[in-house]
Amino acid sequence: MIEALTNNHLFGILLTVGLFYGGMWLRNYFRKNWINPLLISIFVIVVLLQLAHIPYEQYMQGAGIIHDFLGPVTVVLALPLYRQRRLLVKYKLAIISGIVSGVLASLVSVLLLGRVFGLNDMLERSLLPHSITTPIGIALSNDIGGIEGITVVSIILTGLIGASMASVIFRLLRITHPIAKGLGLGTAAHAIGTSKAIEMGETEGAVSSLSIGVAAIITVVLVAIMQIAGWY
Amino acid sequence: MRIFRQLAIILSINFAGELLSKGLSLPLPGSIVGMLILLILLITGVVKEAHIAETANFFLEKMPFFFIPAGVSVMVAYQLIDGHLAGVIGTIVLSTLLVMVVSALVTQFIIKKKNND
Repeated sequence: MIEALTNNHLFGILLTVGLFYGGMWLRNYFRKNWINPLLISIFVIVVLLQLAHIPYEQYMQGAGIIHDFLGPVTVVLALPLYRQRRLLVKYKLAIISGIVSGVLASLVSVLLLGRVFGLNDMLERSLLPHSITTPIGIALSNDIGGIEGITVVSIILTGLIGASMASVIFRLLRITHPIAKGLGLGTAAHAIGTSKAIEMGETEGAVSSLSIGVAAIITVVLVAIMQIAGWY
Repeated sequence: MRIFRQLAIILSINFAGELLSKGLSLPLPGSIVGMLILLILLITGVVKEAHIAETANFFLEKMPFFFIPAGVSVMVAYQLIDGHLAGVIGTIVLSTLLVMVVSALVTQFIIKKKNND
């Protein structure tokens, strides 16, 4: 009986659309920015599939069609980057140096902390893209042999941690310059960090939005270099 | 009709990126090659913002929706995380804070140094 309902393309599509709508509704109803419709949807779908013993493959019959749109979603990330290009040209040295050092800190710290905490190779590969924007993180994770589900959840957690800790960190370390604040938020915490940066100010928001794309490109290029050089 | 033309442009660039990535065995995923192609086309003025605006804005605004199926695949990876949850969360928290501190401090240092010169 349940099989007849779930072994159907519409099942996965409807479940995904319905839960995302539910998550958006909750966020608007309670007016809380930390309510994350994506995380809520993932959590509820995983619990539902587990409880009803519905295999992931059956969900993906329909949800795979939504997944296939990650390609065009990634391509249009060029647009915000293009819109902020003047900012990049104006502060190129500070922005490029800041983002390259942030990306290096991210890659090195994941590999070192992975050793410290005894994580296996596949987990380390899944966590390497944790600071970059989700569509590029998924592509990178699949490219280097990570598990995309772990990558997506780690990226959302990273965004929530970065956005909630930013004010304290900036105060403690006397980071006062709007460009430095925006860059730190965008490089470490992608789009979720950028919504925090927009609250801080217009320059912070613009720099953060620019940093999302630049950090993702630099991460992909550095990981490719690491692989070609055989360091990883 | 405009939406379909915009979608056709975006999908063609995506497709070109996939072909280039596979054909030349580039070490970059096809979707990212597509993003770089679109960036170049925008900078050179071959593609204008208006050629893709509404469709691109739709994808940009509703982006998280498209990540749900990838996120749900965490359920088939559960055995991998089992027993390592504290280590995974510890790695994410410490690495995130470090990235923010390093990138913001380096940027502020360079901007202030430049202003003093």
